[in-house]
Amino acid sequence: MTLADYERDMAGCSRCTCCKWSALSQIKSWRYAKNCPSVTKYNFHAYSGGGRLTAGLSIIKGRSELTEGVADIVYKCQLCGACDTACKIYRDDIDINEVLLEFRADCVERGQLVLEHMLMIDALKKEDNVLGEPKAARDKWAEGLGLKDVNKQRADVLLHAGCRYCYDKDLWPSIRAAVRLILSAGINLGFAGKNESCCGGRAYELGYRGEAEKYADDMLSRVKASGAITLLTCCADGYSHFRYLYPRMGRKLSVDVVHITEYLIRLIQAGRIRFQRKVPLKVTYHDPCHLGRMSEPFIPEWEGDKLLRPSSLKRAGRGGVYEQPRAALRSIPGLELVEMERIREWSWCCGAGGGVYEAYPDFCFWTAMERIDEARSAGAEALVTACPWCVRAFRDALEQAGEAFPIYDMMELVAKSIGIPEEEV
Amino acid sequence: MLPDQAYEALIDAVGQENVSREPVVLDGYAWQPTFNYNPELWMERPSAVVLPGSTEEVRQTILVCNEYGLKFKALSTGWCVTAAPWCEGVVILDLRRMNRILEIDEKNMYVVVEPCAIGAQIQAEVMRYGLNIHMIGAGCISSPLASATSFMGHGWDGIYMSYSPRNVLGVEWVLPSGKVLKLGTPGSGLGWFSGDGPGPSLRGIMRGAIGACGGVGVFTKCALKLFNWPGPPVVEAEGLGLDTKTELPQHFKVYLCFLPDWDSFADSMYEIGEAEIGYIINKNALGLLLSVIFPRLTRKIAKRKAIKETVDVLKNEFEIILAGNSEREISYQVEVLEDIISRNGGFLFDLGDNPLVGIFWWGLVRNYAPPILFRPGGQFMTLFGSDDSFDSQVTAARLGERIKKEWLEKDLIYDDLGDTSWMHIFENGMWGHCEVPFIFDPRNRRQVEAVMPEAIESVMASLEKNLGVGMLAMEPLIRKIASPMQGNYNKWQKEFQRIIDPRGAADSALYTGEAEIDLSTIDPNKLQKMTEIIMKNLWTESGPPR
Ligand SMILES: Cc1cc2nc3c(=O)[nH]c(=O)nc-3n(C[C@H](O)[C@H](O)[C@H](O)COP(=O)(O)OP(=O)(O)OC[C@H]3O[C@@H](n4cnc5c(N)ncnc54)[C@H](O)[C@@H]3O)c2cc1C
Ligand code: SF4
Ligand code: SF4
Repeated sequence: MTLADYERDMAGCSRCTCCKWSALSQIKSWRYAKNCPSVTKYNFHAYSGGGRLTAGLSIIKGRSELTEGVADIVYKCQLCGACDTACKIYRDDIDINEVLLEFRADCVERGQLVLEHMLMIDALKKEDNVLGEPKAARDKWAEGLGLKDVNKQRADVLLHAGCRYCYDKDLWPSIRAAVRLILSAGINLGFAGKNESCCGGRAYELGYRGEAEKYADDMLSRVKASGAITLLTCCADGYSHFRYLYPRMGRKLSVDVVHITEYLIRLIQAGRIRFQRKVPLKVTYHDPCHLGRMSEPFIPEWEGDKLLRPSSLKRAGRGGVYEQPRAALRSIPGLELVEMERIREWSWCCGAGGGVYEAYPDFCFWTAMERIDEARSAGAEALVTACPWCVRAFRDALEQAGEAFPIYDMMELVAKSIGIPEEEV
Repeated sequence: MLPDQAYEALIDAVGQENVSREPVVLDGYAWQPTFNYNPELWMERPSAVVLPGSTEEVRQTILVCNEYGLKFKALSTGWCVTAAPWCEGVVILDLRRMNRILEIDEKNMYVVVEPCAIGAQIQAEVMRYGLNIHMIGAGCISSPLASATSFMGHGWDGIYMSYSPRNVLGVEWVLPSGKVLKLGTPGSGLGWFSGDGPGPSLRGIMRGAIGACGGVGVFTKCALKLFNWPGPPVVEAEGLGLDTKTELPQHFKVYLCFLPDWDSFADSMYEIGEAEIGYIINKNALGLLLSVIFPRLTRKIAKRKAIKETVDVLKNEFEIILAGNSEREISYQVEVLEDIISRNGGFLFDLGDNPLVGIFWWGLVRNYAPPILFRPGGQFMTLFGSDDSFDSQVTAARLGERIKKEWLEKDLIYDDLGDTSWMHIFENGMWGHCEVPFIFDPRNRRQVEAVMPEAIESVMASLEKNLGVGMLAMEPLIRKIASPMQGNYNKWQKEFQRIIDPRGAADSALYTGEAEIDLSTIDPNKLQKMTEIIMKNLWTESGPPR
């Protein structure tokens, strides 16, 4: 598919601007009524989901050129999917997410590139990760955990740690806690160690299709070779890419793909783990876009007139993972969960997605601080989430602002409650 | 292309990041498919877009426009063609950054807002005080300031909360000269509580029935009346759209009422108005309701005679929400309603614990559903809309039925079972409003090209029955035909314009503009009839036609 293939979607926009707002039926205050970080920050209509549809239409109709200014519009967007969800409350015939992805591929193909993204792709080519860290150090985070190496031994469950968890030391305690927990439940878990590579999803989001496909193929063969029946990931980005972008690229994983929050619930339900220690904390849960609305499985492009497409065949964000993380938090004794106003499929983004963290850090941090403000106003003492990119964005934003507010990766709280000693993780 | 000097001056006025002349950004304001008669759906590309953040920045922008001989136009949320530039070289003022709620006066029941505080935001905040705001039929996504000062203003809560032009109190208005005029009490520094003084009382000139659609300057603040809200301070609902579930709060009732025919329907409306009961009342076109809920199923069954006949039998339906402050009050209202409906030969269906109550109650109170109208076809057009007695609204609905049938036969619109109108009553039933929606696909050239002829036909039918031109009065093509048949109103409007905007700085196409119709788009038989109607109704120098 190309941008031009979505002409009908773009020409269907009625300019109602619902894509700029949280679900209208759910708005509870003036302050937290907006859903799109991009148009909330940059204000011109073109920076909204609908505005980007019109920009795309203007370009394919030859009314405008693909300039640097257009690339600015295309890339100052987290691909968070909030606009798509909002639009689809009302429409069956518009897929904003698909247009946003095609727009990026078009920019790359026609040479409208963003320097920071080029550096990420270079790093990916050299070291198989988007952070530019050495490939040889990819397994360092797992030292001493006794994880099986699937290159040598068979495992039922293959863990894909993802670039951020592998290299961000600040996040190692949470992924290590996850591994400890799963191993303690007697699961046959393994990982690919140094041979793990980026899933390629970020490259796809940035518009570099060729690179993305290469890494997806690599992932597919690694999973196949491992003989695992489950692919487990703690990375919400990776999870979304496996469920949405891989099939979009025509790549299908033939294993059960599970996010750690789902796996946790399976283990709790099977009675294989129990939360024992109290964690007396009032927290709020931030739905990562990639675990929530953007993890809804891919649905093949509807052939023909989308007005005839049944609602069940449109991705509207409902099929994301929302309940499991909440259920896991609720089962931690002493922990109180309070909700923010923008949650689930109408959640506000952390700011990191779509290459924004790397290319436009100020925009990313502004977006994150908006969310932290919302968490505070919900009366929470801490914000918990289930995505390493979100945790990074929140912590960096707080540091840049010189403010303090506890940000937890969910697995850190789980570790506390299970009673895994800190020195062990 | 905007001259560099003017561009620099705009940057000085509002800051670099708040001005753009990037073609793609500009096209974001030229694309206006909703209620657009031009089959291309693109309007003129503006020469620049600015995002003022305060009244002073609006003023400075207008001064720059004056200095460089540029036209300007403001928009709030910008949801329909009236917000687009209607001529070349317009500087658009997108008021998005002016989005605050400045004051909620609980005791005197008003709120002071900027242009881009949307209905949902204001409602959420004032409900905490036991208050509510009138919501126009476009829904809570639109700007209450825009509908109060500049365009239309009807909604289904009109029975209890009247209509936007009546609810506007003090106003801050930046004139096309750049001068700031304050209407009503703010004009005398006495707060915002009255639109009529002490201080200049110019509400009628500010907008009239339809509104000047950006043609008289920029409204930067206004106070709006608030009304009693006997519901909870925060409404908890599950679901986002048609799936909304919520509990009906104490002292609220929701009914669907069915009447046997138009006459009994109209009588019931009058009686409900006179009895002073009801919080929200709305006649929905039943076929349309089916179409938005089951768009594909409706396509399949629409041609079946039995389905059409069933809808025809049930079409005289309206939804009513009753709200009381006490058990006694709500019981009284229920008794009165039951009496009215039964005396008029109808029946009512209490939605009570029915799962549909969520969408009918919260859907109508928050009014978040209107964009669903785009679901079946992608676009719609709405016709008629002359506010007058309810009987005249019934006449409009009947005319609409006839016109719609004809367009359906030509396959120029989506078949919503040919059911016609949305109707509401205002102010104790003293007057009503009726619109007839036509759904179509904006990507279907044949259907898009049919929009203008449909509109002209509805106007002609209206004029023939002395119903006025309704909502289309702001359209330059329609104004050109309608004004000479209606007391040459545009002549007077132009007199006001001469005083308000002597230099013609505002894009006033929708205020006083006139344009020629392309007669070739009209069926020759209809053209003949149209000419007859025009000739019969033409005003002369000596006054109205005899
Ligand atoms: C689907 C749909 C349904 C609708 N149904 C109804 C209905 O039931 N009842 C009803 O009353 N209206 C209805 N409308 C019309 C609606 O009233 C207008 O679109 C309205 O003004 C909405 O506010 P907005 O924020 O979208 O205004 P905009 O689209 O931003 O503006 C509307 C007009 O007012 C002008 N304007 C806006 N703000 C300012 C300002 N601050 N200063 C000067 N000029 C300004 C603009 O130039 C434009 O001409 C409907 C519109 C749509 C698209
Ligand atoms: S993209 Fe969808 S929600 Fe946004 S303006 Fe267009 S139709 Fe409305
Ligand atoms: S994906 Fe997110 S940031 Fe991008 S336009 Fe949509 S809502 Fe805005």
